Amino acid sequence: MGAGGNVLSAGLSVMETGESDDAVNRKILIVEDDASTASYLVKGLAEAGYAVESCGDGRDGLFLASEGIFDLIIADRMLPGLDGLAMVSAIRAAGIVTPVLILSALAAVDHRVDGLKAGADDYLCKPFSFAELSARVEALVRRSDRLASDPQKTKLSVGDLEIDLLARVVSRGGNTIPLGAREFNLLEFLARHAGQVVTRTMMLEKIWNYHFDPGSNVVDVHIGRLRRKLEDGFPTPILHTVRGAGYRLAVDG
Amino acid sequence: MRLSITARIALLAIILSLVSNLALIGFVWKQTSADAIDAIRRETTEQSDALRTVWQIGGLPELRAAIREADNPGDVSQVLALLDANGRSLQGMAPDRVTIPLKTTTFRIARLGNDSLWAARETGYALYPIGRNWLLTGRNLDLIAAEERAMERALAFAITLSLALGIFGGLVLARYVGRRLDAIANVIEAAGEGDLSRRVGVVAGGGDAFDRLAARLNVMLGKLEGVMAELRVVTDSLAHDLRSPLARLRTKTEQAVLIADPDAREVALGGLLTETDLVMRMLTMVIEISRSGSVSRDRFIEVSPADLIEEIGELYAPVAEDAGLTFQVAIDDRPMPMALHRELISQAIANLIDNALRHGATGGSVTLRLIERGDGVVIQVEDRGPGIAESDRAQALKRFGRLDSARTTPGAGLGLSLIEAVARLHDGRLELGDNAPGLIARIVLPF
Repeated sequence: MGAGGNVLSAGLSVMETGESDDAVNRKILIVEDDASTASYLVKGLAEAGYAVESCGDGRDGLFLASEGIFDLIIADRMLPGLDGLAMVSAIRAAGIVTPVLILSALAAVDHRVDGLKAGADDYLCKPFSFAELSARVEALVRRSDRLASDPQKTKLSVGDLEIDLLARVVSRGGNTIPLGAREFNLLEFLARHAGQVVTRTMMLEKIWNYHFDPGSNVVDVHIGRLRRKLEDGFPTPILHTVRGAGYRLAVDG
Repeated sequence: MRLSITARIALLAIILSLVSNLALIGFVWKQTSADAIDAIRRETTEQSDALRTVWQIGGLPELRAAIREADNPGDVSQVLALLDANGRSLQGMAPDRVTIPLKTTTFRIARLGNDSLWAARETGYALYPIGRNWLLTGRNLDLIAAEERAMERALAFAITLSLALGIFGGLVLARYVGRRLDAIANVIEAAGEGDLSRRVGVVAGGGDAFDRLAARLNVMLGKLEGVMAELRVVTDSLAHDLRSPLARLRTKTEQAVLIADPDAREVALGGLLTETDLVMRMLTMVIEISRSGSVSRDRFIEVSPADLIEEIGELYAPVAEDAGLTFQVAIDDRPMPMALHRELISQAIANLIDNALRHGATGGSVTLRLIERGDGVVIQVEDRGPGIAESDRAQALKRFGRLDSARTTPGAGLGLSLIEAVARLHDGRLELGDNAPGLIARIVLPF
């Protein structure tokens, strides 16, 4: 962990430890009219190794996005010039498939549905933690790679852990580990993002399709059970807790 | 504005009363006048017919005798005379010399003579030849004129009366309408100044327009009062619940600033993040509560309640078991899929379970149950904790979170406000029951 003295570094330190190589040569477009949020994003993402460009107007955003050179677009909803959702719709209508993450103060469940309907790939509410944002940014950037390289994967492996997606069988070091249906989905999600931080809300959204915070460390309990099944009787841990952010499935610590 | 409306109502009443009276009197007047002339015509015709018959049978002497006999000196309006070929009166009551043309006339109204007595009045008369002479019968219109004058006087009186009655009626009506409107306006005014407890008094069984207006207004005020009360609970609860995490946040920040060791400071900062997330979670919940009143129905999707319950049960089962509780999901019935806001209903159920885990944990078991009843689908969470005494339940529903006055777990009051808001969004309600021992909290969703 980095020895940063502020809250921002608690999230950024994830990037600094191992994943910054992946961020090299990734271009992110930030469309945000609030100057302080924009500079916070630019600084944070630049430190994580991304090449960041930013503009404060929906029309400029659409213009830049239509060049098609970005790996990710982070857009606010309430923008001058062109509303964020209208901008996303226009980008999609132009046939540009660059992943879009909407970052908005409109936090109700239905606002999120509107955002995803407009063509966004993810929706994060303000105020957000940088750890949450960077985990989602990484997931979106990597997802487009994965779709491009190998969309038809039937087996995932992380170290000695093997996951057969067709037979829905999990084994570690040759020993089959019996998992429930939901536990399997959870592990598959973690394995698809192996090496990356996956946050609690990402899991709630993707595994359970809930967009509210159920409180009571619900996700931690499920992860705890999965971890016991994956690690009991094996010498090395594989499902790591990233403090202040979430979890990471990886061989190293 | 209100005054001018009452004035207009009064004016309308006056005009209506005037118009209806005038129409009635005018009709009576016209009818009476026509009848009077008809009567004179009939009488004149009858008399002249009778006298001509007398002349035909008995000749001139008999006719003269009959005229003499019929001449009634007391009846000043009667005209009956025998005229010579030049129109001079030979016998009976008539002008000395008539000015009317001497030709056979069945009935006509005209002035009979030039002298002062006859020129002033019109007469309805009949004129028939009797040999070389003429028989004049008829009746002066004096009486009719008198009747007309009486009618006119009556008419003027009636108009005055109807004006007076109209003004009086209009004033009474205006006062009545004004009073009813004032009753409503006062309540609205009070509501505008913040007193939502006042209601318009509605007469039992009164179904007039004012009563309907008042009844609707009362319903609206009732809803408004409920919403305001709920808002107050949410605001109180929010302020109360925000204080403790913010106070903790402040204390922890102060401590973290003083920590020199980097690792220990990292841990302290992590604690700050947790507290911050808690505050953010509460704020999100407030947003959901405030928005749930205006969620449109097109956000609802067809969901099988049983699937929904199983999913949420599966999410919470390990949490309850880790807390040392027996957690059971009981699907008693599998109702047909119904239109629900999946996300908000799930959150409401999650809050119910969360509440049972917090307050009913001492009882050792929690059950999430789905039942189909006649009036709808019931989703209930049963615990074996201390429960809530029946007398306290109504109060508990109002301010659920306040029962546990010493609670340290934040957000419970908000959570229950959210459940209520979600139930109401689905036209349903939140109920509390006795699990003997323990509490049953149920969301009832009508079909």
